[in-house]
Amino acid sequence: MDSQNLERINSMLDAEVEIREKIKEQVTEFDKRTRTLVGILNRIHSTRSEKMSTLLDQARPVLDSCRETTAALADIVPPDQFWKWKDMWSLSLRSAVFSATLMEYLNSGTLLSLPAVAETLGFKPEWKDRVTLAVEDYLHGVITLVNELSRLAVNSVTLGDFEQPIKISLFVKDIFAGFSMLNLKNDTLRRRYDSLKYDIKKIEEVVYDVSLRKLAPSAQEKAE
Amino acid sequence: MTLPPTLNSRDTILAVFDHFREELDDHNDRRERLIKSSRDVTNLSKKVIFLLHRTMTEDVGEADDRTLGSRAASRARGKLKEIQSLFAGMRPELSGDRYARYQRNVSPGLQEYIEALSFAHYLEHRALISYEEVQRSLCDDDGTPYFPLSLEDYLLGLSDLTGELMRFAIASISRRGGRQKANDVCHFVRDYFEGLTPYFRDLRKKQAVTGQSLEKIEDAAYAVAVRTSEFDLPSEMLDDLVAQMVSRTADRSGFGDESGRRKPRETDYMDADD
Repeated sequence: MDSQNLERINSMLDAEVEIREKIKEQVTEFDKRTRTLVGILNRIHSTRSEKMSTLLDQARPVLDSCRETTAALADIVPPDQFWKWKDMWSLSLRSAVFSATLMEYLNSGTLLSLPAVAETLGFKPEWKDRVTLAVEDYLHGVITLVNELSRLAVNSVTLGDFEQPIKISLFVKDIFAGFSMLNLKNDTLRRRYDSLKYDIKKIEEVVYDVSLRKLAPSAQEKAE
Repeated sequence: MTLPPTLNSRDTILAVFDHFREELDDHNDRRERLIKSSRDVTNLSKKVIFLLHRTMTEDVGEADDRTLGSRAASRARGKLKEIQSLFAGMRPELSGDRYARYQRNVSPGLQEYIEALSFAHYLEHRALISYEEVQRSLCDDDGTPYFPLSLEDYLLGLSDLTGELMRFAIASISRRGGRQKANDVCHFVRDYFEGLTPYFRDLRKKQAVTGQSLEKIEDAAYAVAVRTSEFDLPSEMLDDLVAQMVSRTADRSGFGDESGRRKPRETDYMDADD
């Protein structure tokens, strides 16, 4: 092989390897952050609703720290190459999306929109061709949210909160209606979407148990 | 979008998912279109490769290798142009950050094209086509690339080239001057094979196949070397001896000159194609 060509190939390879290494470093950091975050949020299952806001206050700074990762990635990824590298961090990003949407749900009972999640995580519109929050990643995060809420429905009953399952049920049904509008390909998103019905079934069973025993209103009485 | 940051009713959620659907459909449709185009490219490229093999093994008596090579390359040129115009047609679908997104959908065709292009290049110039030259073949008249050629596709395309070279070497070994040709190919492939470190996952897989191809050529070259050493004759004379023998048999049986050689060649073909 002629040396000029070989040189060119090697320098291109070196550049790619360098980018990959740098991204890896950031992803390790990102991973640590999201794992801490998910670790804190795991405690929602044993936290009474009146203490929830304290827990969220604890999680907030960790979520905010993810912005540093986003900015660092935007620095590393060359223009137009978002899709080339995004798979490296999409797992961590999806947990971050999950955490952000879960925190918003616990805070206001609503679904945090994609642009709002992107803003929370520090994505800037002008970085669009380098780092951005793709629809796919947002949807994966939302599915994880539903998975987690089905667990919360069960555990909130154990903690004596009988209203939460009903709220969750309404919320999740809205989300499911949204997902039903999509023409999903036979990919992981599709498979995870298919799993949503089991979460809904689980939540329905909790709601059924709670309303059958007339537990929901009694929770209100307790609060009085 | 002029939607609130949090979605608190079914209607707003549905409106947002409606938007997602449009985006996902757009993406999937584009991907399908590109996969189709890529398939067309693969198809045409395979035809070019067959055309090249055919031209190189045509029986044209006096024509030497170089003439055959440039004839093959010039015949291929028209078809390669056709493929290049397919890539030109894909250009708007691959602009900006889209190329990185759909690269893997276009790769199969692109690699097959690089295989055909580099094979034609080898036959004409006896040299490896450079990254620059491949990229230049994928540019418009102003020299602006249709899309940035990825190193991965370039290297993987070249890996496929070694399979073609193996076929070419084995097919020509029974011909006049074929042993020398096989040796040349052997050196060429070895050069390439040793020049690259397998960086990409796919490349590592293909490197294994390249290794097998190289081994097949080496075995053929070895057999020839061993057998030639039994006769203390210059290689041209051996060629003539063999040619005489073959033509006599052909006259008698009416078979083509390669009847005895056909089989191993075809199995080689199948091996290397998976």
